[in-house]
Amino acid sequence: MSDYQPKILSGGEHRSDDEIMADYGVSEDSPLVIMELLQRFHVKDIMRSRNIISLTRENTLREAKELMRDNKISGLPILEGKRLFGMVSMNQIIKALEGGWLDDPCQQHMSTSLVVLEEDIPVSIALKYFHNYTFGRFPVLNKEHEFVGILSQRDITSALLKELTSEISKLEGKTEAAVVEQRPVENVKSEWVIPYYSLRQFVIVRNDLANAGKAANEIKRMLKEAGVNSKIVRKVAVAAYELEINVCIHSLGGSLTIVLDTHKVTIIAKDNGPGIKDVDWACQDGTSTANDWIRSMGFGAGMGLSNCKRVADTFNIKSVVPTGTTVICEFNLSA
Amino acid sequence: MKISDVIKILNGKLVAGGESDREVGAIVANDLMSDVLLTDSDDILLLTSLASDQAVRTANIVGAAAVVVHNAKPLPATMCQVADTLGIPLISSPLAKFDACVKLYLAREAEGKGE
Repeated sequence: MSDYQPKILSGGEHRSDDEIMADYGVSEDSPLVIMELLQRFHVKDIMRSRNIISLTRENTLREAKELMRDNKISGLPILEGKRLFGMVSMNQIIKALEGGWLDDPCQQHMSTSLVVLEEDIPVSIALKYFHNYTFGRFPVLNKEHEFVGILSQRDITSALLKELTSEISKLEGKTEAAVVEQRPVENVKSEWVIPYYSLRQFVIVRNDLANAGKAANEIKRMLKEAGVNSKIVRKVAVAAYELEINVCIHSLGGSLTIVLDTHKVTIIAKDNGPGIKDVDWACQDGTSTANDWIRSMGFGAGMGLSNCKRVADTFNIKSVVPTGTTVICEFNLSA
Repeated sequence: MKISDVIKILNGKLVAGGESDREVGAIVANDLMSDVLLTDSDDILLLTSLASDQAVRTANIVGAAAVVVHNAKPLPATMCQVADTLGIPLISSPLAKFDACVKLYLAREAEGKGE
């Protein structure tokens, strides 16, 4: 038995990443939700069913042709157990029909110089492979080099469309909610500067980094208008910003509420899950579960909660898995 | 050192946020926004390679005088819009971050304020 191992190519790009992504209409100006999806999804999340039709090396090309015809597919992996030895495509079948060797075993004519994908790579990398090679599909292997499935461009399109539909539905729902929730609460005058207290709530949408930080900047503006000491305004704004980013990148979405009374400013960040398993760990400097995409945006270094603790006069956090997390920071106006 | 001086020193271009004759305080070169938020100084000049809306929003939270993005990195249209809305001068410089820091340091030293 041959000891063939398929090649696992990790590059092959002849053009810059930016140029390749631009061919797909993806650039720095693309909506952040698209960029995030391309990074968040891995090949194993979106590839076709693992019940792939396959043949062994001893099967004939005629059997391959019949399987491909009956199942309306254009290529077959040649396997022994979970080990990939080659691929038979329409090209080999046409050549066999022309040359009259349809009854030869697949191993004599199959493609053995294969480009395969690893199941853990992000979809953004897989897209580059589709660009750099002319193949319509790639076999996918796991870390043990075992065959686990086939990835086609159609799989990527379907997965992205499905997820985008879901994200857009959520965004539309949240936008309507935001309009309602940003109204001044009952019995509170419409202007921010009022005698006793005022409250305002902002809705924060999951992964909407394009808008993250807007609430904190608005809170800063409101406090300045209300005549709050500039040093306190800065501390509140820093905490509000960190909490807003946290809810945006780590949670399923939530809200940021600010309450100003005669003695203090209170910031309440509340999210809808998934909750933090180890709150003490999460509050330490440098601990984070952020992915590379979030880090590339300048966040996710694990400083958020500890920064809030540093600037706030009181800091409280409560988290329940999977219900969600609530953080309350208070700032004394007399400080 | 004023923002107009910074533009000359860094061979830069004011891209958005409007002209300003504001004096620049401490110079902060950082790509990690949580670090920038911890800065105590006022009127900082933020040098960053982070060409995103968040760099400008972070600058506004800490009351920065201006934001400089180095290496002539393309600036997204939304970043310029945020800079215009918040009135934070956004400068693009062809210099690398290290070279920009050295030039600003030397200029500060010549002013007698090297830090």
